[in-house]
Amino acid sequence: MKSAEALLTVRNVSKRFGATHALKDVSVTFEAGRVHGLVGENGAGKSTLCGVVLGVHAPDSGGLVLGGSSLSLDSPAQGAAHGLVGVAQELSLLPAMGVVDNVVLGSEERWGPFVNDRANRRRVEALMAEHGLEVPLDTRAGSLPVADQQKVEILRALGRESRLVVLDEPTARLASHEAADLRSTVRELAEQGVAVVYVSHFLNEVLSVADTVTVMRDGRIVRTGPAGAETHGTLVEGMTGRHIGEVFPPKPPAPAGDAGVVLRVKDLCSIGGEFSDVSFDIRAGEILGLAGLVGAGRSEVAHAIYGAGRVASGSVEVGGRRLSGTVEDALANGVGLIPESRRDQGLMARRPVRDNTTLPHLRRFGGLLGIRTGREQMAAGQACDDVGVRAESMLAPVEALSGGNQQKVLFARAVLGEPRLLIADEPTRGVDVGSKRAIYEALNQMARSGCAVLLVSSELEEVIGTCHRALVMRGGRIVAEYAGADMVDANLLSAAFGAGEKAEARPR
Amino acid sequence: MMAQVLPAARRYGIAVVTVALFAFLAATTDGFLSQANFRNILDQQSALLIAASFATITMIAGGFDISAASVYVVAPLFALQVENSTGNVVLAVAAGVAVGLVVGVANGLVVTALKVNSFIATLATSFMVFGAGFLISDRSVLRATTDAYPAIARTRWWGITTGAWIAAAVVAVAWILLSRSRFGRHVYAAGGNAEAARLAGVPVARVKTICFAMSGAAAGLAGVVSSSRSLSALPSDDFSFVFGVIAAVVVGGTSIAGGEGAVWRTIAGAFFIALMINGFNLHQIDPIWQRVIQGAVILAAVSIDSWTQRRSQ
Repeated sequence: MKSAEALLTVRNVSKRFGATHALKDVSVTFEAGRVHGLVGENGAGKSTLCGVVLGVHAPDSGGLVLGGSSLSLDSPAQGAAHGLVGVAQELSLLPAMGVVDNVVLGSEERWGPFVNDRANRRRVEALMAEHGLEVPLDTRAGSLPVADQQKVEILRALGRESRLVVLDEPTARLASHEAADLRSTVRELAEQGVAVVYVSHFLNEVLSVADTVTVMRDGRIVRTGPAGAETHGTLVEGMTGRHIGEVFPPKPPAPAGDAGVVLRVKDLCSIGGEFSDVSFDIRAGEILGLAGLVGAGRSEVAHAIYGAGRVASGSVEVGGRRLSGTVEDALANGVGLIPESRRDQGLMARRPVRDNTTLPHLRRFGGLLGIRTGREQMAAGQACDDVGVRAESMLAPVEALSGGNQQKVLFARAVLGEPRLLIADEPTRGVDVGSKRAIYEALNQMARSGCAVLLVSSELEEVIGTCHRALVMRGGRIVAEYAGADMVDANLLSAAFGAGEKAEARPR
Repeated sequence: MMAQVLPAARRYGIAVVTVALFAFLAATTDGFLSQANFRNILDQQSALLIAASFATITMIAGGFDISAASVYVVAPLFALQVENSTGNVVLAVAAGVAVGLVVGVANGLVVTALKVNSFIATLATSFMVFGAGFLISDRSVLRATTDAYPAIARTRWWGITTGAWIAAAVVAVAWILLSRSRFGRHVYAAGGNAEAARLAGVPVARVKTICFAMSGAAAGLAGVVSSSRSLSALPSDDFSFVFGVIAAVVVGGTSIAGGEGAVWRTIAGAFFIALMINGFNLHQIDPIWQRVIQGAVILAAVSIDSWTQRRSQ
C-alpha cells in the first residue's frame, strides 16, 4: 500500500440542529489514496459529518484543514471547487436531461454563452474510458437503471478532478453483482490518489472495501483504526455501545401452536409490479420480521396491507374478515401502521402532540359541540405515557420533541387504536440507542398482549434480535423464511442479495 | 422568563399588535373613539370577514382560493336577477350562495382529482366566473327592486347592522368548525402533511373539496351582503376583493404553506388592516400613500412569519 498522506482533517467540529447535538467535538483525518469507512447507527452523525466535509453544513465550532491550510466552506459549490464532492444516497440527477448534461452539470464546456455539446460528450467519453465505467450516453438519466444512475453520479464526481469523494450508502439500491462492481470502482478511485469516504450500513461491505474505519455513536467518534483490526462484532459493539445482546430486550414467548391467525395475506400483487405473489400469516402474539434491501418491496407490502397502496389481486384478511383495501377499513378492523418516515408520512410537525396522537381515532371523542378535548387529552396522555413519550405538554408542537420521542408519538398513536395487527415500518430509524430499546420493549408489550406484529426493517440485527420469524424479500417476492437457529445474518443477507444466483432484473 | 414570553409573543403577536394600534389611535386621534366610527368599521368589514373566515380554512388545508373575488362580484348579479324576476329575497340569497358553492365544488374537484395547483385552478375559474357575470347581467348594473333585499344587511339590531351580525355568525361557525370539530383536525392534517394525513385515515381529497366548496359559498354570501349594503351590483373583472381577503388571512399569521393558522388570527388581521385604514382616513393621509404603507405592512407580516418558521426548525 502507498504511504498515506493526510488530505483533509476535521478538527474538533461540533454542530447543533435545534435541540439535537448532531456532532460533538469530532476530529478525524481522511487520507489521499485510502478508502475510509464510516459506520454508525442512524442518527449517529455520519451524514452531518459528511455534510460538514462537503460544505453543506457550516460547523458551529472547530474547522477543516485541507492540505495543511485551514478551510471554511459556505456551500457545497465551494466544497466542489476544492475538489470535495459527494455522491448522495438519494440520487441528485436531473432525470429529464441526458447523461452527458448531468455529468458536466455546472462545469460545461462553452463557446461564449453557448454550451458546446460535442466537447462535453468527448470529455465524458474520455472519463468513462479512463475509469472503465460504461453508461449509455444517448438516454435521459431518469430512464437508466439505478446502478447506471449511480455511475453517472460517480462520473460527475470524477469529472471535477475530485480529491475527496463521499459515497453515502452507495450500494443500498444495487443488486449484488452491481455492488461488487461498485466496490472495485471505489478501490480504483483510491488507487488514483483520491480520498474516499465510504458510508454504509453493510458492515461486511465496509470491512472488505475500506482501509480505515471510523465508528460513530451519538455524534461522537468512538474510534478510528485500520479495517483489518475490526470484525463485524466489534463494529456493532462500537456503534451501539453495548454487546448485541444488551440492545434487545428478551423476546416475548413465541405464540402457542393454537394461537389464532390474525393476519392472512394471500397472493397479493401490486399494480405497478413492486411486489407479486406475496402470501404469509401472522398469529396472535407473534412478531414477524420482513427483511430485505431497500427497494425490495417491503414497505409497499406493508402499505398494501394497511389499505394505503393499490393492489391488483390477492386478499388481506384480518381476524377472518377480508379488508376492502382502504385505510379507513384497515383502521376500523384494528390495523395500525407506524410509517417508515415520521417526517414525510407520520407527523404534522407543527401540530400539538395531542392532535398527532389522536388523529385517526377522533370519532371516539365526538360530542355534541365537537371534540371533547378533555377526554381526548387524557387518552392521548395515557397512550404517550404507556410508550414512554417525554413531552413537556400534550399541547407542545411535536417538532419540539427529540427524534426518539417523535417516533414514540407515532407508537402512541398506534397503541391508542388498540390494534390487533401492528405494522411497524423501520420503527427505530434515526433514534438513539436508549429510545431503540424502549421501542423494542413497546413492540414486545404489544405482542404479549396478543397483538400480531409485522416489523419491516433494513437492520438485520433488529430482525434477528426482536422477531420470532423472518421473511426475506427480494425483487418484490418473498424468497426465504427463517426462524430459530436459522435466523442469522449470513442466511438473511444471502437471501436478500440473492447470493449464488445471478441477480435478476430489479424492479424500478 | 424570556423563554416563555417570546413564543407567546410570537403566537399572539397579531392580537397584541392590533390592540396596541387600537390604543394608539384611541389616544392620538379625534373621532376614533366613537360608537358611530366603530359601527362603521364593523359594517364595512362584514363582507370581508364572511369570505376571509372560510378562506382561512381553505388555506390551512393547503389550498389557495383566488376565485373568491369573482364569486363576490358575480353571486350578487345572480341574486339580483332572481330578486328582480321573482321578488323573493330568500330565493335570491340562496341563488347567490349557490353560485359560490358550485364554483367552489368545481375548484375542489379540479384541484383534487386533476391535481392542478390551486392558485392556477382558481385563477382560471375566476376568468370564467367573471365572464359569466357579464353574460347574466347583460353588462349593466343591476339594482334591487324590493325593499327586502336592502334590508338583508342594512337593518339595525341594537344599533349594529344585520350585515355585521351575519358576519359574526359566519365567523363563529368557521371558528368552531375549525377549532372544535373532527373536520377541523382533518383540515390541519391535510394541509400540514397530506401523506401523513392519508396514512392516518383522513380523506384528504374530500376534506379539501369541502373546504373549497365552503369558501366559495362564503364568498357568494359576502357578495350578496355587499350588494345589499350598496343596493346594487355591477359586473366587473376586479380581483381586489380577494387581495383584501388574503391580506387579512396572511397578516393574521395563517401560513400560506398550509397546516397552521386560526380563524381568530384572520379576524385580528382584518381588524388590524381596518383600523390602520381608519386611522389614515381620520388623519387625512393621502390614499395613495395608504396603499404603499398597507403593502409594506403585509410584506413585514409575511417576512416575520417566514423568519419565525425558520427559527423554530
